[in-house]
Amino acid sequence: MSGAAPALPAAPSILTPEEQAHRRLVWISTVDHKRIGILYLVFALVFFAVGGLEALFIRLQLAAPNNTLLSPDTFNALFTLHGTTMIFLVVMPAVFGLVNYCLPLMIGARDMAFPRLNALSVWLVLFGGALLYFCVLTGPPTMGWFAYAPLSETPYTPSLGVDYWIVALLALGIGSVATGINFITTVLCLRAPGMTLRRLPLFVWINFVNAFIVILALPVLNAGLIMLLMDRRLGTHFFLAREGGSPVLWQHIFWGFGHPEVYILALPAFGIVSEIIPVFARKPIFGYGFVASSSVAIGILSFGVWAHHMFTVGMGHAAENFFAIASMLIAIPTGVKVLNWSATLIGGRIRMDVPLLYCVAFLIQFTIGGLSGVTHAEVALDWQTKNSYYLVAHFHYVAVGGIFFALLAGLHYWFPKITGRMLDDRLGRLGFWLFVVGFNATFMIQHVLGFMGMPRRVYTYPDLPGWHWMNLLSTCGAGVMAVASLVLLWNIARSLRRGRPAGDNPWEAWTLEWATTSPPPAHNFERLPEVRGRRPLWDLAHPERPDPPTPSGDIVAPDHTRAAVWCLIASEAAFFGVLLLVFVFFNISPPAGPNSRNSLELGRTLAFSLCLFLSSFTLWRSEAAERRGQRRRMAAWLGLTILLGLVFIVGQGREYLGLFHRGIGFGTNLFSSSFYILTGFHGLHVCAGLIALLIALGLSLSGELRRRGASPLGAIGLYWHFVDAVWVFVLATVYVLPRLL
Amino acid sequence: MTTARLLLTGWSWNPMAALVAAAAGAYLLAFRGRGRPVLFLAGCALAALALVSPLALLASRYLFSAHMAQHLILLLVAPVLLVLGLPAGCRLPAAARGLLRAPVAWTAGVGSMWFWHVPALCDAAAASAGVHAVQSASLLLLGAAFWWPIAAPDPRDRIGPLGGIGYLFSACLACTALGIIITLTPAEVCPIFRSPADPVGILALARRRWALGPERDRQLGGLLMWVPMCLVYLSAIFVELARWYGEAAERAPSAPPGEAA
Repeated sequence: MSGAAPALPAAPSILTPEEQAHRRLVWISTVDHKRIGILYLVFALVFFAVGGLEALFIRLQLAAPNNTLLSPDTFNALFTLHGTTMIFLVVMPAVFGLVNYCLPLMIGARDMAFPRLNALSVWLVLFGGALLYFCVLTGPPTMGWFAYAPLSETPYTPSLGVDYWIVALLALGIGSVATGINFITTVLCLRAPGMTLRRLPLFVWINFVNAFIVILALPVLNAGLIMLLMDRRLGTHFFLAREGGSPVLWQHIFWGFGHPEVYILALPAFGIVSEIIPVFARKPIFGYGFVASSSVAIGILSFGVWAHHMFTVGMGHAAENFFAIASMLIAIPTGVKVLNWSATLIGGRIRMDVPLLYCVAFLIQFTIGGLSGVTHAEVALDWQTKNSYYLVAHFHYVAVGGIFFALLAGLHYWFPKITGRMLDDRLGRLGFWLFVVGFNATFMIQHVLGFMGMPRRVYTYPDLPGWHWMNLLSTCGAGVMAVASLVLLWNIARSLRRGRPAGDNPWEAWTLEWATTSPPPAHNFERLPEVRGRRPLWDLAHPERPDPPTPSGDIVAPDHTRAAVWCLIASEAAFFGVLLLVFVFFNISPPAGPNSRNSLELGRTLAFSLCLFLSSFTLWRSEAAERRGQRRRMAAWLGLTILLGLVFIVGQGREYLGLFHRGIGFGTNLFSSSFYILTGFHGLHVCAGLIALLIALGLSLSGELRRRGASPLGAIGLYWHFVDAVWVFVLATVYVLPRLL
Repeated sequence: MTTARLLLTGWSWNPMAALVAAAAGAYLLAFRGRGRPVLFLAGCALAALALVSPLALLASRYLFSAHMAQHLILLLVAPVLLVLGLPAGCRLPAAARGLLRAPVAWTAGVGSMWFWHVPALCDAAAASAGVHAVQSASLLLLGAAFWWPIAAPDPRDRIGPLGGIGYLFSACLACTALGIIITLTPAEVCPIFRSPADPVGILALARRRWALGPERDRQLGGLLMWVPMCLVYLSAIFVELARWYGEAAERAPSAPPGEAA
């Protein structure tokens, strides 16, 4: 911090002077990862204001017993929108923004692997936000952000707002999966020489792991949302018990996504803290290997413990005990991480700058939230506290006291890199203390309220002893946080114009993003320092005692497109996995009316399936011909592939027509619903594959395919083989097995 | 019948156990203290226990959950101990090496789990000693095949740590899928356990004393497949990661400073 570099540009600025002239166009059309990162952060900030105002109204309504400030419906709408906004439109975009900005810089890359896909993802955030808030015109969703069926079904919440909520989350989910694929591919393919996977900065490694959770968890939600939308618009009854559907299935699907989602939000926070604490303690992180590998453990465990959100549903004691144990296990890697961070601080030359202040607050508050989380893994206790304010306090300690504070730490840490100017230190400290006081005043007391029996998700409460002042205190705390947010906004606005120029490396940090100017040029680096360990800038500054080298053996994935298609396949496999499980769930004891045995024709479908499987063979021949440079032969095999795919689709169309003629529609019974959603989505994927193959055929006929560097046929081929492989499972589950078993 | 009496008298002879004992003997004779005999013998002991102890009795006729516990030991826990016990440098013949690639090994391990839970086969294995012997042998062998790419004594036969994580995680997903189906749907993968014949008179103990009605028994079985099996895979993943990051510490002193990928 002291002794800024001598020749600073007078006014560091994100846009170059030429760009200033048409800056709106620059921001709308950008595909630069740094600007996309800034857009993410700006969107997150805007939605933070919206979600924060909603929270304020919620707290104002709850400030006094029997309050009539808000009607019950308005309250429900506000708390639905608050939850959805904060999770999907604030924390996720903020995380993606920071990762977008820093990840390519930290691994010494020029940009993300797919800049245009990146731009699509960021604009999908705005699109999703617009869809969600379109409900202001149509009547808002009032079912809660968890959308428990049957409350979210048409008979109970007819408002169009629920449908907009569903579509908004679908748009956001698709954007997030695209972002996840982009992160993974970037880390696998674009690392600077010497930047092996074991030398990645922890922020990058953790977000790399996190991207896998994103691409595997979001499809689960998407599958559930589509089923809910079908229930609401196409007359199916997946989640309506009256018609044989299962409201508990919604909870399984929602929390099957929802618990990994908790870690999708929390892991990046761990990443930020793991970067900042060593820099401000002037020590390498204690136990790099443990922090890195425990993130993988957390990621994997997070998929297996969702049922602890459902202890009060009544899954049976056996299930509850198993999930109680599994949920407690997840506290181990997380808890030891807290020890890692604390041990990094011990004995360090600590500089108490604002980023570290936020990290220390994170450590304490996140530990409190984590400990109250463990109490929820204890089934008997959970039954008592689940529907009380104790739970509200718990997850706000994790989400706000933990994740949000870590994001603020990251914002203060990287703001100089992003804008070239320092945030004001005094305003930063003021904002920090206001946040700490406001946050703890708001939520600490809610633990007590919960123990006293105040239920959550209620719009008002009776005047019981003690409840009034506690709620009032909580509301005052929320007010203090609002002031803190204003201080933060003022600090950002002021520093953007008048902040002290930062120089390249104001914190004397060691990762590559600090090796370039602040803000970095469009191409990121003039020249990269040599990477021999985990702290390249330390090695550069201290050639006499560099870090011990880390092993260099590593995996490399040179082909972007293939790596990305593999990620897409993993994500799609999760999606189809859910649909297949849903089919099994509803058809294991065949429902009354039409079912696999009495309504589907096995012979004809087998014939059409053969065409689909053959098309995999012909495509393989086509790829082989392409490798040998036989263009006409390749086009011929490709044409045959398309033809076979078309025959399959026509066959499926005939099957559908036959079923419709016999009066078997989407909503006839659960067999027909789960049949149509599974085979329909497979059909859609076949159609998407056909379009891709047609494009490849067109390109190859015009000679364009060879002129491009890498041929897309290999990647399209992977996707096509995957679609065929899915059909193997669908065919077995839907057509063959029900006849055999 | 009480629990204590069951533990005392519920032991039964199984020819498969003799085979396991023979394997232990052969191991001691062939390698004479090379390798890690403790691990190998622990694997043998576990497998033998799963086959002759009261667990086997419960698994053969009474409880689906006991069947699943036996399955878990024979397919996952014992084989990994056996493979880990082999001395370093121990390799398969070249032909078998060519066959036992990761996808094959994965299919062997995961496939045997799904295969033996086809209702007809599951019932047959519970009802007939012969089928049960085939089942036990195949679980042990295919389980060892599954662990080979992860824990093979020769590093050349292992897939790398990152590949290993994908290998184990996908196996975890595959057993989760089956576990979910058994736990959460009314699927009856082994109908025989619903109304077991009760020649020894243990049923009352299981149903009343342990409160394991057919419903809860089935759920417990599904959960055993779902949660503990995945925890085994997860532990292996953690070992892989520790090995991967541990390499750094081992090799650091000798590695040249300017080494780059």
